[in-house]
Formats: sequence, C-alpha cells, structure tokens
Amino acid sequence: MSKTLLINAFLVVIGFVFLFPLLVTVTNSFMPEQEILLHYRTDLSLFDRIHGIEERSVFFRLIPQNITLAQYRIVLFDSPLFLMLLVNSMRMTVPVVLGSLIISLLTAYGFTCWRWKYKEILFFIYIVVMLMPLQAVLVPNFIVADWLGITRSHWAIILPGIFAPFGTFLMRQSMKGIPAECYEAAQIDGANELGIFTYIVIPQMKSGMTALAMLVFIEYWNVVEQAVIFIRDFNMEPLSVFLSRIADGRMGVIFAASSVYMLFPFLWLFAGQEHLEKGIELSGLK
Amino acid sequence: MNKHKGLLFILPGLIGFALFYIIPFIVSVGYSFMSRPVGGDFVGLRNYIDLLQSPAYRLGFRNTMVFMGLSVPLNMAFSLGLALLIKNTGQYKPLYILIFLIPLVIPSGAMVFFWRVLFGSNRLGIDWLNSEYAMITVLIIFVWKNLGFNLVLFLSGLSNIPKTYYEAAKMDGAGGFRIFCNITFPNLLPISVIVLLMSIINSFKVFREVYLLMGAYPHESVYMLQHFMNNNFFSLNYPRLTAATTLFSLVMVVLTWGLLRLERRTSHV
Repeated sequence: MSKTLLINAFLVVIGFVFLFPLLVTVTNSFMPEQEILLHYRTDLSLFDRIHGIEERSVFFRLIPQNITLAQYRIVLFDSPLFLMLLVNSMRMTVPVVLGSLIISLLTAYGFTCWRWKYKEILFFIYIVVMLMPLQAVLVPNFIVADWLGITRSHWAIILPGIFAPFGTFLMRQSMKGIPAECYEAAQIDGANELGIFTYIVIPQMKSGMTALAMLVFIEYWNVVEQAVIFIRDFNMEPLSVFLSRIADGRMGVIFAASSVYMLFPFLWLFAGQEHLEKGIELSGLK
Repeated sequence: MNKHKGLLFILPGLIGFALFYIIPFIVSVGYSFMSRPVGGDFVGLRNYIDLLQSPAYRLGFRNTMVFMGLSVPLNMAFSLGLALLIKNTGQYKPLYILIFLIPLVIPSGAMVFFWRVLFGSNRLGIDWLNSEYAMITVLIIFVWKNLGFNLVLFLSGLSNIPKTYYEAAKMDGAGGFRIFCNITFPNLLPISVIVLLMSIINSFKVFREVYLLMGAYPHESVYMLQHFMNNNFFSLNYPRLTAATTLFSLVMVVLTWGLLRLERRTSHV
C-alpha cells in the first residue's frame, strides 16, 4: 500500500533528523584531532586572515576522512581526569539506584498492606512532592545538607535521591498489577507480611524494578542542577557538568568523551527498551 | 496490632522522606517569613513583596511562562501526530519508538558541544544563542529531547481504544478526519491531561540544557526562573530563595490539583 510506504518514508526522515546529533557524535569520535579542529573551530586562524576570511562557517561531517581510535585512547588511558569524572558519576548514580530500589519497594509494599484510614492522604503528599520541579526541592535539600554538614559532598545528592517520592510512586503503581488473589492465597497458607513481600511481591515486580532502576539511572547519570549547587570541587564533579566546559580547550576529545558517557544509558536502553516504555507509562499518573 | 504491620515497611522510607523533604520544606516556608534564617525577625510578607518587585524574578517568571506556553503545546502536538503515524506501522513500531526514546536517555552534557556547533556559527545569519532567537533554540532542543516521553504515553492511550470502535465507524462509512474527531480525540482526552501534566513538569527540566549551553547568565529572553533560583543559591540569599520556593510550590500544587480534577472529569464522560 502506497500510504503505508509514505508514512514509513516520512518517519525514516524524521527519525534521521532526531538521530543526527547522536550520529555526528559517534562517527566524529573516530576522527583524528586535526580533522576535528579543521572542521569545528570557529576562531580565525592566521591562514584565514591571510586569505581574507572573516567568518568561518562550520558544517558537520558525518563520515571521517581518516579513522582513528586516538581520541578514545586519550580519554580512557592517557589522562586519568576523564576516568575520575566517570567514577564520580558512578559514585552518585549507583547508590541512588540501589538505595531507591530498596526503599521504594519497602515503602510501596507498606502502603499496599497497611490498613490505616489516612494512608491515602499521606500518599498524596508523596505525589505532591514528586510533582515539584527540582528547583523547588533544592532549597529544602540544601537546608538538610547544611544541618548534616554534607553540603560539599556527594551525599548531599545521593541521600535525597534515595528517598525521592518518585520511586515509591512508581513501585506502588507497578504493584497494582499484582492480583489480590495472590495475597489472599498466601495469607491462607499462613505466610506473614515479610513472607508475602519476599516470595510474592518481589518476584512479580521484576519488570517494575527494572523500569525504576532505568529511570533513576538516566536521571542521576545526567545530574546537573544538584551538582552545580553542591559540588564546588572540580575533582568531585560528575561528567555532565565537566563536558559542558571542555569545549574550548580540548575540542579533539569531546566526541569520544561524550560517546563513552552516553554508552552507559544506551546499554540500558538496548537491553530493555520495553522496561523504559513501561516506566514512562507507569509514571503517567492514574 | 496486625493492622499496623505495614507501617514497619513504610517507616525507613517515611523517615528519610520526612527528613529530606517534608521537614526542611516546612522550615523553608518558615524562613520565607523571616528577615534572616538565624536570629531574624518575622517580617510578614515583605520577602514576597521584595521578590515580586525584583526585576530578575519577573524576567525569569515571564520567560518561564512563555517557554511553557510554547513548549508544552508544541511537544504535545508533535508527539500526538507522530503517535498517530507510528500506531499502525506494525513490525517497525518498536524501532521507531526506540529512535524517539534515544534523545531521552542521552545525558545533556554529551550533547552540549553538538548544540554549540549547530547553533553557534551564525547559521542563516542568525545568532541563535545570544539573541531573541535563543528561545527558538531552546524550544528545538526541548522538543528533540522530550518528544519520546509523550509519544510513549500517547501510544499507550491509543492502544487502549477498542478496535471495535474503529470497525464500527468504518462500517458506517466515516472518513479519517471524522474518525479522529469522534473516536480518537474523545477517547484520548484523559491521557492527554496526563501528558499535559507530565509535559509541564518536564518543561522545567529544560534548565539543564540552557544552563550547560548558555551558562548562568544567558540572553535575557531565556533567563528562566531556575536561573534566578540557581544564581541566588550562590549568594545563599535565604529570604529570596525560600520565598521563591514557597511561591513556586504553591503554584504547582494548585496547577496539579486542577489538572488531576480535570482528568477525573474527562475519564468519566
């Protein structure tokens, strides 16, 4: 059918436009430094001035003339700086992912089995805080960090991340998918709450847990605002903030550094696209 | 006793939630009425009046509203259009969704250089980063990054519309446009309210890109409320910060509450 063909052709074109930034970054990471400088520097060289060029236009080049792994070598082996920043990002992301998984599962299960008539009001507070923009939450976060004396450490970012209401909300949404008969059957068999949690809830929550882990990972791998406010020491910065400043001095490694940085969330995405979709659907409030 | 067993599971999370969110939030609301956090006097609404009279706050507030007013409808329209196209692509559907989800997982920092080159060199004779056009730049980046999120929500909404509705309409000889107006649109309304709410929330996240790309003091047309708050953090101006936070939260609570009521209403029609 020609209509289907037309739709697909259109989607391929739009898809290409959307992927273009990614394609440029990945292919150019294999370019030698001279080629990158030749294409992307905007300041005028002596050569330009002699030839009367007053403005350089920069165009992206998708396919490198020469292919080299030199930029990756610099990023991964020659300078310890980049690896250190990668470790910084890891040190913030991994504890938040693991911590929020545990806390959110427990809290969400508690909300499911707790029979207290005001629990929905309590849960509503979770939702309201969840919907707050990050900037509105940062001031309270800062006040606590100040009390605890951790304003200049990664913990100022990690701890609020672990207890963020989003995880609890997502896990509770996901738990609604477990049929009530499961709980009842287990109760009849004499299982207590802890038993139900370990043998009924956790096995059925695998998909929801993966979705949460992915969403939290993506969020904290990309941490910017909190890092700008809490981290003043350059050696503690996450990659995200560092890469925005790399641009001028060491243009050559920017694409390779960005590619390595992107690799981690990509591995997640390719391993479990359906989990990310599920996570997004669940975060739509119902 | 058995009744409160659930509390045991909630307690660790609840303590952390109270400590890191609820208690400091209440404290911050309290600070917003004081001249100084420690040893200050109660000054009533003066911090709020100062805030509302500050030109930087007004600029940030206005720009944030303009950005929201443009980005949210744009993003919703594009993602709905794409969802309608992708809906029936069969085996290629997961691939298309993957393509539009990719920008969502790319860390903002990894794209800064690309955007700087793309918008940097006076393309089409326009200074995309340091003029009135900066707003358009920010809109393009926002839609690029957030389209996938809405797309997934809309696609799930579309797949929940029973196929029999469409078959019945076709039997009656309804055309594509009439089917959209009479079946797709009304059945998509509840999810659209959800998408609207999520788009508003996501629209605040654009600060990341603006900040990384244009710094703490960008062109005045894209100086957002978040810039104002971020810049006041460095001087630790508590009266201003806490008043701005309280006001921001208040607006969000009212907005969310209103939208959720709207959602309830649309899904019961």
